Amino acid sequence: MIGAFFYLTGQSWKNRTLMRLRRMKQPKYLVGAIVGVAYLYLYMGPVMLHPNRGNWTGGTITPENRVLFESFASAVLGIILLGGWVFPHERAALIFSEAEVAFLFPAPVSRRSLIHFKLLKSQVGILFTTLIFSLLLRHAISGSPAWIRAVGWWLVFSTMNLHFIGASFARTMLLDRGISNWKRRIIVLALAALAIGAVAVWAARALPPPDTQKFERLPDVLYYAQSIFQSGPLPYLLYPFRLMVRPYLAPDARAALLALGPALLLLAAHYWWVVRSNVAFEEASVEASKKMAERIATIRANRGMTTGKPSKKKRAPFKLQPVGLPAVGLLWKNLIGAGQSFTWRFWLIWAWLAIIVGFSSGMTAMAARSSAGMNPKVMGVLVIAGMIAGMFLFMSLVIGPQLVRQDFRHDLPMADVLKAYPMRGWEVALGELLAPTVILTGVQWLLIILCYGLSSAFGEQLPRELRLAVASGVAILAPCWNVISLLIPNAAVLYFPGWFHSGKGAPQGIEVMGQRLIFFLGQAVVFLVALAPAALTFAVVYFIGRMALGNYGAVPVGALAAAAIMAGEAALGVMLLGKLFERLDLSSESVS
Amino acid sequence: MIEAQGLTKLYGDFVAVNELSFAVQSGQVMGLVGPNGAGKTTTLRCLAGIIPPTRGTIRICGHDIANEPIEAKKLLAFFTDEPRLFEYLTVEQHLAFTARIYQVANYQELAKPLLEELEIADKADKLPGELSRGMKQKLVIACGLLHSPRVIFFDEPLTGLDPLGIRRMKDSILKRAREGAAIIISSHLLHLLEEVCSNVLILKNGQKIIDGTLAEIRQKFEGLGGANLEEVFFHATGETKPPPVIP
Repeated sequence: MIGAFFYLTGQSWKNRTLMRLRRMKQPKYLVGAIVGVAYLYLYMGPVMLHPNRGNWTGGTITPENRVLFESFASAVLGIILLGGWVFPHERAALIFSEAEVAFLFPAPVSRRSLIHFKLLKSQVGILFTTLIFSLLLRHAISGSPAWIRAVGWWLVFSTMNLHFIGASFARTMLLDRGISNWKRRIIVLALAALAIGAVAVWAARALPPPDTQKFERLPDVLYYAQSIFQSGPLPYLLYPFRLMVRPYLAPDARAALLALGPALLLLAAHYWWVVRSNVAFEEASVEASKKMAERIATIRANRGMTTGKPSKKKRAPFKLQPVGLPAVGLLWKNLIGAGQSFTWRFWLIWAWLAIIVGFSSGMTAMAARSSAGMNPKVMGVLVIAGMIAGMFLFMSLVIGPQLVRQDFRHDLPMADVLKAYPMRGWEVALGELLAPTVILTGVQWLLIILCYGLSSAFGEQLPRELRLAVASGVAILAPCWNVISLLIPNAAVLYFPGWFHSGKGAPQGIEVMGQRLIFFLGQAVVFLVALAPAALTFAVVYFIGRMALGNYGAVPVGALAAAAIMAGEAALGVMLLGKLFERLDLSSESVS
Repeated sequence: MIEAQGLTKLYGDFVAVNELSFAVQSGQVMGLVGPNGAGKTTTLRCLAGIIPPTRGTIRICGHDIANEPIEAKKLLAFFTDEPRLFEYLTVEQHLAFTARIYQVANYQELAKPLLEELEIADKADKLPGELSRGMKQKLVIACGLLHSPRVIFFDEPLTGLDPLGIRRMKDSILKRAREGAAIIISSHLLHLLEEVCSNVLILKNGQKIIDGTLAEIRQKFEGLGGANLEEVFFHATGETKPPPVIP
């Protein structure tokens, strides 16, 4: 039976690799692969070619600090493994693909064989992760030869994998014996607390009390930590975990070989524990596999955007009249799809809140400033709050269009349904862009109100006229800025629909990484080119307008002129996006 | 009502549909049949204006779908084999949205009897995720029929329906045909097509093998023992007899 499992795992890996290589015939994947390899070379090349220039700056192991490193690593490992006993709540479920469930579960394959298959399959991922960690953390920490680090990582990952499976089996057995998840968690956490308490009590009795003055120096902190790790109960508590990390931290081949024996024994004990556990996992596995398949389907449908939770009924943002511009229908639909109730009431409540918070902050700042005993703490809080609001505003302008995706990026899987509608391409494009534009602009206007109020804490450093000019300028430019920001990723989706895959079920590999890099750079360049005429217009109008309106008065006028240019670009962009949508042929994409 | 002239669709060098010409008149129901990969779905997608044909013209009620897509699409409905719904819109919201897209001013008057006819009136506030596959199919049909289309395309409409659902779907198709709609149905269920179709077009490798009324086609294959559509299909597509039973 194990031969069949080797065949299935090996052939699946081989075919997946061949499929990726064959995909290189398509220029988009070839170009992506070239860029991906170039990026990896630039990122990892220096580390690989110049081993002494490793990316680790936290120090390496010396004979003096070896125990400290080993203890710290084993403590971290212990906490991770403890999580396997505390957080999960489901019954044991080894996740198989739906095809594996369909082929293997009804076949005359024993439960133990299924576990072996799962362990074998998990080795593919473990070996890959080992390779990546060994390369990326080259010469990090241990400074030992590559093969020792690789073997060390493999042992740690393999033992962890077996431990989590074993813990899930034990969890199921406890549930079968009437010990609920909460009971188990309380017992595990109580035991952990007992262990920590024992260490704390010992440290309090056996070690001199820590001097908080001396603790400001790192070596003193390390000395105290080393004392706790080296003596008392902690070395015994961490012993199994130290066995796990010791091969990785071994300085040379002899030490590694000596450390390998106990670590392999621990691995073998875990293996014995897992394969001897007689736990029925099949039913839960079928359910888990089904959920996984559904999640992958959702990720594919939404191009990577999934909440992992089933949809709930959402309130419509407004009453949709049956007659009128069809694009408004798409806005209405996408606002519902955005997951919030973006009703008029929603915006009004938040606008009032922003006004109240912003202006009451302004009044507080003015009062604090005018009073003789100005409270620096109040002013500090207002300044920090203003800076945070400003940072959010900046982020909403820069990365907001990447995050709010209720447009073609979300609706691409429904493109054939949209194409059947009696709407011109530009109408569909406009309708698709409206929802993210409305959401982003609404949020940005709220933040502008907040920023305006909170920035009064800066006093004379930021005069009211300047704040008002900047706030009105940004508010005027925001809608057009958002439309143009959204045009670019949407055009990219329609122009290269096959490139827009993400999530677990999506194409993977170095070529896909390269494609994403190309998109990121392309979007940045196109955006800057699109902004250039508006920036030039703003500058010209501002310099002319300041003669008549003054420095501050000219800002909103310049912004209006720039917004007009951007609106023209946006209109042109919507028309082009509409043409792209009309030409979109998803079936040819899947055939090519 | 539906006219295709020289319809051709290429994907690179691959010919999905080749020089296909036919017409379906008001009240006619045409069965589009063929083996897997014959080009049935591609043909329907071209007819519905979802993908552009490489060559040829398509007219829906006299409107060229390439030059007058809006006018043509206002008159047609396309039902895919898998119900395609927006997961975050309820049944009611789907109808409101469809009404806006197709500008159906009195949609509430039309929607109520339609939902009752399809037996989903009590599901108005449900999301697609809360509906069975058959219910989803019914919602798609309700949305598609809301604007009273004069041309209807069905791609495997009976997939996933229970016997009662199949009966209702057949009745619904025949009712729309009696009301004057021109209908094309693509399906592998030949015996069911035989019950609802007046005409048949058989495709293979993107080429039209034969088309005509059911009676004409049966007559053409009478000498070869073509008694029913299944026999005709095997003869027309090059299979002289049904495939052997797999032991």
